[in-house]
Parts: sequence; C-alpha cells; structure tokens
Amino acid sequence: MPRYLVGRLAAMVGVLLLVCLFTYAVFFLLSPDPAVQVCGKNCTPERIDQIRANLGLDRPFWTQFLTFLGGLVAGRTYGEGAGAVECAAPCLGYSFQSSQSVTDMIGQRLPVSATIAVGAAVLWLLVGVVSGLVGAVKQGTWVDRVLTGLTLGGLSIPNYVLALVLQYVLVVQLQWLPFPQAVPFGEDPGRWFLNFVMPWIVLAVGYAAAYTRLTRANVIDTLQENFLRTARAKGLAPRLVWRRHALRPALTPVVTVFGMDFAGLLGGALITETVFGLNGVGKMAADSIAKNDQPVIMGVTLLAAFFVVVGNVVVDVVYTVIDPRVRVAA
Amino acid sequence: MKRHLTTTLALATTAALALGACNGGGATSGRTGAAAVDFAATPAKGGTVEVLQNADFSYLDPARGWDGGVNNFYRLVYRTLTTPAPGNAKDPNAIVPDLATGLGTPSDGGKTWTYTLKDGLAFEDGTPITSAEVKFGISRAWDPEIGIGSPYAKNVIAAPHGYAGPYRSGDLPTIETPDATTIVFHLKKPFPEFDAVVGQVNMTPFPKGSGAGDSFIKKIIASGPYKLAAYTPGSLIQLERNPKWDPATDQVRTAKPDAWRFTMGLDPATIDERLLAGQGTDANAIAGTIQASTLPRLQAPQYKDRVLRMSGICTTYMSLNTTKKPLDDVRVRQAINYAVDKAAVQNATGGTQLATIATTVVPTTVAGHKDYDLYPSPGHKGDAEAAKKLLAEAGQSQGFSMVLDIRSQPKMQKQAEAIQQSLKPIGIDVKLNVIDTSKYYETIGTRSQQHDAAITGWCPDWASSAATFIPPLFYGPTITDKGNPNLAQLDDPAINKRIDEVGAMTDLAAANRQWGELDEQVMKLAPIVPLNVEQAVYLPGRNVAGLFASPGAATGGIDFVLVGLRDPDES
Amino acid sequence: MTIAPTELERERPPAGAGGAADLAAPPLQPSGGRVLRALRHDVGAVLSASYIGLVVLMAVLAPLIVTVSGWSPYEFDQSAIDPNLGGVPVGAWGGMGGTHWFGVEPGSGRDIFARIVYGARVSMTIALAATALTTVLGVTFGLLAGYFGGRVDQVISRVMDFLMAFPALIFMIAVLSALPAGNRSALLVVVISVFGWPYLARIVRGQTMSIARREFVEAAQASGASGAAVVFREILPNLRSTIIVMVTLAVPGYIGTEAGLSFLGVGVVPPEPSWGQMIASSVTWYSVVPTYFAIPGLFLFLLVLSFTVLGDRLRAVIDIGEAR
Repeated sequence: MPRYLVGRLAAMVGVLLLVCLFTYAVFFLLSPDPAVQVCGKNCTPERIDQIRANLGLDRPFWTQFLTFLGGLVAGRTYGEGAGAVECAAPCLGYSFQSSQSVTDMIGQRLPVSATIAVGAAVLWLLVGVVSGLVGAVKQGTWVDRVLTGLTLGGLSIPNYVLALVLQYVLVVQLQWLPFPQAVPFGEDPGRWFLNFVMPWIVLAVGYAAAYTRLTRANVIDTLQENFLRTARAKGLAPRLVWRRHALRPALTPVVTVFGMDFAGLLGGALITETVFGLNGVGKMAADSIAKNDQPVIMGVTLLAAFFVVVGNVVVDVVYTVIDPRVRVAA
Repeated sequence: MKRHLTTTLALATTAALALGACNGGGATSGRTGAAAVDFAATPAKGGTVEVLQNADFSYLDPARGWDGGVNNFYRLVYRTLTTPAPGNAKDPNAIVPDLATGLGTPSDGGKTWTYTLKDGLAFEDGTPITSAEVKFGISRAWDPEIGIGSPYAKNVIAAPHGYAGPYRSGDLPTIETPDATTIVFHLKKPFPEFDAVVGQVNMTPFPKGSGAGDSFIKKIIASGPYKLAAYTPGSLIQLERNPKWDPATDQVRTAKPDAWRFTMGLDPATIDERLLAGQGTDANAIAGTIQASTLPRLQAPQYKDRVLRMSGICTTYMSLNTTKKPLDDVRVRQAINYAVDKAAVQNATGGTQLATIATTVVPTTVAGHKDYDLYPSPGHKGDAEAAKKLLAEAGQSQGFSMVLDIRSQPKMQKQAEAIQQSLKPIGIDVKLNVIDTSKYYETIGTRSQQHDAAITGWCPDWASSAATFIPPLFYGPTITDKGNPNLAQLDDPAINKRIDEVGAMTDLAAANRQWGELDEQVMKLAPIVPLNVEQAVYLPGRNVAGLFASPGAATGGIDFVLVGLRDPDES
Repeated sequence: MTIAPTELERERPPAGAGGAADLAAPPLQPSGGRVLRALRHDVGAVLSASYIGLVVLMAVLAPLIVTVSGWSPYEFDQSAIDPNLGGVPVGAWGGMGGTHWFGVEPGSGRDIFARIVYGARVSMTIALAATALTTVLGVTFGLLAGYFGGRVDQVISRVMDFLMAFPALIFMIAVLSALPAGNRSALLVVVISVFGWPYLARIVRGQTMSIARREFVEAAQASGASGAAVVFREILPNLRSTIIVMVTLAVPGYIGTEAGLSFLGVGVVPPEPSWGQMIASSVTWYSVVPTYFAIPGLFLFLLVLSFTVLGDRLRAVIDIGEAR
C-alpha cells in the first residue's frame, strides 16, 4: 500500500510537470509578446527591449520555464527597482493587464465557482443515484422507460441551450427566479439559493443523466452476481440484501467517477458561468481569452489540470479503501 | 493623439440630444411626453452612487490612463489647472479653470503660458497644492514607464533633450514656478489651445517625490472631492469623501454624494437586467449604454420615463488605404462612399436609438462640425448606380476584391458584414480579416501590416475644437510606420497646408469654422467612409439625479461630477 | 456513460475505475444484416436515423434549398427589422412568415432558415471530419499499444493519460484564440481530434489485448504471419462493431464541441453560419426574440440526441455490454 501510494504520487508529480511544460511551451510559442502588453499604447521599441530585459523575457525558454516553476514553489518578483512586483507563492503568474497576481485573481473568484460546483454536484449525485436505483428496481417498466428517455435527453442537450430555455421560461415568462447574480450566502441565504438554483440545474443535468445510467447498469449487474444469489439463498431479507450487499459494490464506481468529474469542474463550469455572467474562475478564463491575457489563461489551465491529476490519485486511493477486491489485487 | 472608440468601453460615449447638442443644458430627457423623471434635478447631499461596469478602469494613475471612461472617473479624485466644463455649463464643450484662477495668459507670441493657482488647495494627506506640486505632477508625463497616457504634455511643452521624468532626470527647467501660486510653461512652438492641454488628465498635481514606479497602481493621492477607500482590481472601487477638498475652491464639482461604489466585471446583460429591475441599491445606480437587445423591452410603460439619451462625440468610420490599388484612385473611393449602405451599418450597430448616421468626419456634437453630405443616397441605403458609374470611369467596372480589417467583436463584425453585403452589387468582393481585439490597433496602425480598409473610430481629445479630429487623421507629414492614426495614409499637399494654417489660428471660433470647411475638403478626396456616431441610451436608477452629458470629460457620457441621489435615505 | 463527451462540460470519462470493464472480451461479430433488421423495428433508431438523414440532406443540398426559400444566408433584409427598436425583427415569432420561414436575425435581417441550412454544413463537416481523424488516431494507437504492449504500450498510455488529464476545453479555446483565424474549420478538427482520440484508443487497446490472447490469433502468429498481417487481418475485423458503436457515440460529442467552441466565439469565422454561433449571438436577445435561440437550439439538440439514441440502440443490438 505505501509503496503503491509513493509510486502514484511520483507519477502525479511527473504528469503535473509535463502539463506545466506543455502549457508553458504552447503559450510561449503562441502568445503575443507580453512586453508589448505591459508597454501600453504609446510604446517605443527601446522601451519594449527594456521591459523584456526587466522581466527576463529575453532569456532562453528553459531559464524562463524554471523561473516560472520556482515562482510556483517559492514565489517570485517581476522586474527590478521601483517598478518591481511581488508575486507570493504559489505564483501562477502575474497579469499585467489587471495589475494583479493570477493567484489572487483566482482566489477572488474561487468562491463563486465552488458554490456552483458543489451545489451542482450535490444535485446530480442525488438525482442521478436515486433515479438510477429506481430505474434498476423498476427495470423494464414504464417508469424505467421514461427515465431512460429523460436520460438520453439530458445527455444530449447542450447546457447553453438549456440555460437559455430555463432563463426564458423561469425568469422572463413565469418570473419565478431572478436573473442570476453571485449573491454571497452570508448576505441573504434565500436570495443566494434562488440566484444559484438555475446554474446548478444547468451544470448538473448532463452529469445527472450520466450517473443515472451508470447507477442503473451497475445495480443491475451487481444483482446478478453470485454472492448476491448466495445471500438471497441464505434467506436474507430482500431489503437487507439490497442494503448490505448490492448497494455498496454497485455504487463504488459512482464514487470514483464522481471524484474525477468533480475535480474537472474548475474548467468544466466555464460555459455555465459564462452564460449566466457569474464571475467564477471559468468565466475569468473565458474573459481573459477574449482580452488575450495569457498569464491568466495559463494559470487557470494549470490549476484545472492540477485538480484533475490530484483528483485522479485521490480516486485511486479511495478506491482501494472502499473496494476490497482492488485492495487484494494491489 | 489617439483616443480610439475601444478605449471608451467602460462608460460609453455621448452628449445631449442630437439636435442642438452644442448649446443646451446637457441631458434632455428622451423623446416626446412630459418626462416624469427630471434627470437634471439637483441631487441632495449624501448617499452612495452605484456605478455598474463591465470593465475595470485602465489605470488609477492619470499619467498612464487616458480614455473616456477613466477620464470621467479621474475628475472625482483629481484636479487639474483647467478642465472640461461640467455637463450643465452653458457651453459644455468649453475648457474652464479648475485649480487655476482663470485660463492661461499667453505671451512671447503664444510660446509662454502663465497660470495662477487658487488659495486653500490641498491633497488628501493635507499637503498644500502649490505650483511646485503641479509642476511635479506634470513632469511625470516624461517618465518612459509612467507617462504612457495623454501625449500632449510631451508634444507641446518644451523639455531638455533626453528628459525622462522627475524620478530619473530630476527637475524640468522648462516649467517655472516663480512663487507658490504662479506656474509658467514654455512651449516648443505656439499652441493656441494650450488651455485644453493643461486640462489633460496627466496634468494632475502630486506631492513631490510620490508616485514612482507602480505606486499609483493600487493607491492614489487624491486632490479632488473623493479619495480611494477600497480597490479590488477588476471588481470593486469605493470612494469616500476627501475632507481636505474645499468646495469653495471648486466651481466644477458639486460632490453631492458621500461615497461612490464602482462594481466592475459585470456582464452587459447582467447590468441591463439589474437596471431594469432597479431593486435595492440598484435604484441608485448608473451604467453605460444599454444593449440593443434591451431596447424593445423599454417599450413597457414602467420604463417610459426612465430612459435618458445622450448623443456621442466619436465617429465610427471605414478607412480606405490610399496607397493600395485600386483605392489610390479617388473615384474608386468615392464609389465606395456612394455604395455603402449606412442604414444597414446603423442597424448592425443597434439601430436608430444607438447610432446616428454620419456623413462628415467631425460629429455634430463637437465644435467645428459642418453639415454636408457629398455622397447622398435615399435613406442612406447606398447608391449603387452612382457608384457603378464612378467605378466605370476609373476602369474598375469588372470589380475587384479588397481586405477589410476588423476587430473580433460581434458589433464590428456585423458592421463589416453589412458593408460586405452593400459592396457586393457593385462588384467589390470584401474579405474580412478578423484581428484579435488586443492586437487590433497595433496591427492597423502599423503601415506594413494594415490592409486595404479598416473599421475604427475616433474621438476628439477635447470637444472645444476639431483640432484633435482632422489633423491626426489626415495630416501627411506625421504619418509614421507604427502607431499611425492616419489609416488612409492621406498625404495631400493642399490639405496639409490648410491644416498648418488653421492649427495656427488663435481665434478659436474662426478656426472652428475653418475646420468645418476642411472637413468637407477632405471628404472630397474620400479617404474614409464615415459610418455613424454611436449614441447612448441610459437607464439610470430612479433615485439618481444630476445627469448631464460631458463631451470633454466623459466622451459625451454622464458627467460624474454632477451626479447624486434625489433622496439619500431611500433604500 | 458514453466514451466521448456528449457535451462540453463532461470532457473526460472516468480514468482508473474503468479498467476492468474495458478488458471484457469482445463478443463475436453479429452480422450487418441482423443489426439492420433489429434497428428497423426500433422506433427510436428509425426516427433518429431519419433526422440525421434529413440534416445530411439539408447540408448537401443547401444551395438548392436556399434557392427555393429565396434568401441566401448572408443577405441582409432591412425591411424585416425595426431600426427604431435596436433592430428587433418585425412581427411576432421573430419575424416568422411566408417570406422568412424561421424569422430573421435581429440587427441584420438575415434569414434564419438559410443560416440553419448552411449551418448544418458546418456542424456536420466539422463533426464528421473530427470523428474520422479521431477514429484513425484512436484505432491506430489503440492497436499499437494493445498488440505490441511493453514499451510501446507504456509510451502511448502515458500520452493518453496526459491528454485526458488536460483541461481540454480551456486549452482548446486558448489555442484557437491565439492561432490566426485563417482556416478555423481545419483547426477545429485538429484540436478536437488531438484531445479526443485517447478515449477511443483506450477501449481499442483493451480489446486488442484480450483478442490477441485468443486461439485464432495465436494460430495465425504460429503460422508465421507478420505483425501487421495479424493486426489487420485477425484483430481489426473483430473490433469492427466496437469501433462502429464508439464512433456513433462520439459524433454527438464533437457536434456539441464544435457548437460550444463557436458559442464561445472561437469557432468558425463569421459570416459563415454555424448553429453554435447562432445560439451565441442569440444570448442577448433571448428574452425578446426567443425563437432566435430556440430554433438553432432545437436543431442542435435533436441532432445530438439522434446520434446518441442511434449509438445507444446500435450498442444494445450489437451488445458489447454497458462499456464505459
């Protein structure tokens, strides 16, 4: 177990470094000269050279990359002298367009993203697992068929289309909900809920559909396995068979998939945030792309990759804990 | 030199109603019907004005920032020797004294200008504002790192060769301060409109030695009625009263509210929804112009008397590169001027409420405007027959293709598509070259990179004359390889000569008449196609008053210095 | 769960957990005839196939259809919009009627029907091209990794892990926005494929591994057949149905991705119409002109749904199990 864990962690650091390198290289090649952006409107060639030297943009790629990694670990200072800018660790870069460190910018917007992500996750887990179970129990009945139809619909509707439909129906026509705004929970819990409920639904629908299918398939599979037949043969009450033997193995894959999906939400909620104009990390990424603010795009890309990679490892570890079969194999 | 349309994004454009905009006490409320809401009412003292914006201001440091949105903001926290008249002035285009007791006194044939400061001026920290502080603040414009805003100080005021601002080169000898209230400027050559130059935002005074490097990026030292209480870049600015500001010294700012809160980073759609609902503190809110898609919703009776219109001072145009074939032929350029369906472009911009069709270079709201239309067509829908005739004369009846540079922004893309459609019938195949917004002006301002045509806009640096409209766009000798505003690359000896002559006139009223004539003379050569002048439709909160347009300080938008709340205790 | 993203925000299928299911031995190949017969009796499959056929027909015959309807997708119609109200379409339902069947676009008066028809071209071309490229990449690398194992497998698997760990959406937008807009369609195909192939390759790899251990493959190897011959003659044919199902299930993902990227403003270059772009420009108008988003939204939804249903039914008939 510990050796396995060490191996996984080493691989994780490796993948993260690769992601960093790849992202950095791509932005290094594609992005317009940051010095030009720092320089502003009335810029002279000499001034650009000066900025390039000041920010170390004239140094070779590897030196710049290592400086960036160093900033991630220990923080760094951009430039020298009076115009120097501090960027504390973990320094994901500095946006000269908005005069702020990328880490700070992400930090400011993370609460909104987290609110959307957590709310949506709770919703899709509840809906997905419950309707998956119902589908499995009522397998073949009309209830199952309706659920299957809804699932296919949920999988197929692009979430920006759903967002517009919901906004039109719930906000404009019925006026049940306000136009979504990021109201902090502490300010007014009631308003907070009403403002976030639509983003939650929009983000959750696709996942809920996928989880319904996953749960249903797993439960049906598990019910046919030998140990369940044994349990039933032993005369265990059906309810107990369900609770003790069927649910746990059936839901294990759901837990692991959930871990991964949740970890991917930082980048994943981009469309939901954009469509509703909620200032989360995803919308910030989209805005930065429009403004060509490369340090921010790179910072968000890295952070999102970090979540996915770490999520991967966490899921693997959790998996070994909750599924005895894997534990033996490992 | 350049103040492009883009830079005025934050609080968009605009002045009084199109008709009679130049006189007028600023904002007139909408169209017919007795307006139940008097936008021009004098606000009461107190309360917090909310401003909802999409983008953050460019810079809080006035030596760096220079665009319609931030210039307006600067007047709340900074003061200069002179400043554009407040929106409720008799002539809102005029330049009036602010820190100075009066306008400048020229001598030495217009090469030396002298100003006298008022008494009782102080910064927020209590430091008195004397001529030394004014001089120090102005000299920051020469710092290569900081002085990236308005270029007028550097272009007009003499300075020793290689002077690089107070932090690097020390004292600037060409500005003299014989005593605490007198300040004397020595210019490179006579500049009749120097009063407008010292009203530029980078002429703001600062305590000696302050503001080096990035120290004014997140903190400032206020000289106006408000000081910075909180600033989170990209999302929030809060202003509170500056107790050291003495209202007796200020005839421009009423400073009725106790505080201001700028909420930034909001989606345009979110802003419109909040204004429409007008709930809670949003009743105290103002914002930029609403989106075209919100206009139909204003038909509802509850919004009828809440709509406030102000007309713009920036011309949106399509430049035609006179150095490229076949655009080097004046008849081809005239043909394009005839053929473009300006009504379609207007619709792409948001329709008649959000834009007026332009036929001249200088818009109606700027002094020096002359009304004419050299290339008329019924309903401005384009005259393909006249265009075809000119093309045939030029030997281009078989048509040609040209590349139009545009910004990757939906509105401009739609405008470009409208132009593309209207030139197709006369055989001109327009190819759109979409350029990323952040690189756009850099690209089209570089002679080697610009193509046949480009859509862009121009706003004057001050509205009291057309001197910042015609010369930068059409003066041949100043065409540069990079950062070139003369996109048509027009270099016509007759025009150049007239620009020199009119620019040297000291009688501003006479000069403005001449600018108008020159405008028409330029358009005979058809170096650009004037498309439209964007105007604003505002939906201010019910509790906001003191709303006037300021062409000089706010690019025609709502002048912050007069805004306040009707009833500060409400909500 | 489908192997490919059925919508943008679910870009990655489960990693670690899926391993066991992938290794399930593929069944023997059902005959094409049996599959078709089974599908013909399935209402959902028939409806889906008909809708897909309709859209394909629309895409192919676009110029002809537009001649009949009378408006090109680029033509402005100023008479159909009200200049005094921000360019809102004249008349109810977004200006629907005999002149403009689906109404017009606010601000320009362009015909929505014509833009839908031409937009189908963009959506289908990009999605199908991306699917083709992804399939080639996925099958090739999957076969290589699965058949040769060892170092080859190690390298390919690491690359796949890496690509799947990537926040693909953000990255795709960033790359697309930074690259020149010249040939966006081709770029879209490449970018979508680069991030898409690992999902197919993983499954192909797993199945190749288990087929490679079967008797008939071993027999072929023993009789001296070359590696390539074994891969193409023995293994690939046995993967046919898996690939067909996976590909059918991947298409809706790519349609959604193309539309999503266009929605975010980094898709095809205007004035070329695309459904995603139409929806994007309708966002500000949703409350005033609901048909403007509803029409392209419905077409897009139905297309994605049809491919999903068809893929689902195909899988049920071919029965490769609830492979994730």
